[in-house]
Amino acid sequence: MESATVALGHDHAEHHGPPEANQSSRIDKQTLGILLFIVSEVMLFGAFFASYFFLRVVVAPSSWPPEPYELPVAVAGVNTAILVSSSFTIHYALEAIRRGNKQGMKLGLLLTWMLGATFLFIQINEYVHLGFSIRDLSFGTIFYSLTGLHGAHVFVGLMLLSFATIRAFRGHFGPKAEDHLGVEVPGIYWHFVDIMWIIVFLTVYVL
Amino acid sequence: MKISEQAVFKWVLIVGAAAASVIALTLLTRPLVGALWGLVLAIGACVYGYRWARMKWREAGAEVD
Repeated sequence: MESATVALGHDHAEHHGPPEANQSSRIDKQTLGILLFIVSEVMLFGAFFASYFFLRVVVAPSSWPPEPYELPVAVAGVNTAILVSSSFTIHYALEAIRRGNKQGMKLGLLLTWMLGATFLFIQINEYVHLGFSIRDLSFGTIFYSLTGLHGAHVFVGLMLLSFATIRAFRGHFGPKAEDHLGVEVPGIYWHFVDIMWIIVFLTVYVL
Repeated sequence: MKISEQAVFKWVLIVGAAAASVIALTLLTRPLVGALWGLVLAIGACVYGYRWARMKWREAGAEVD
């Protein structure tokens, strides 16, 4: 530490440790971080969707899903409604804390967590009762890969929401923007997960 | 440049509405029609996203100046 201080010269004699990280003046680091993360996630999902559409369009089996397999569209539709609802509840939680309503934020976070857990539970239950596995044709592989990838993201989102909810009950968040980043960033991630599910549901179950 | 949860929530609503239109077309006509409409929407979203990103980048540059 002493040698570092000496090396900096007379002007910065008080400075200790490594120099400050360079930061863009155009974009703040939290926004940049979550944007880069979401862009990388979009590319990850894009790779899976590319495989899916290759199978659907280029390989083009006579029917989709191939006989004798069937997808539980109604159950997935209900699950979609549950996940979309959870976007409304996390939005409610954030609107509540922006107005200084901590009880509303706690309620919103709890409801979001419960809806997310319900979605995951229903998806696992769907996997158990589907009647085909990841090893059954390329159809089974891409179905489980795509929905499983999304399920993993829901799981990560639930972890983030768990931390946010625990912190909310400990009174960590406040109405100012910089005081509730711990809810805002998981909220952005949760909306992203929701948007991805809408696209997965549309392509895998409906079209 | 700030991107808030409110802005992303707006996109949930937009994607939800677009998906609902694709589902409606698929159910009312044929899956191919729904898929083509979905493709049109996806291309439109890509063009909009590109223009939006360029605009935001210019705005952020103006804030610096």
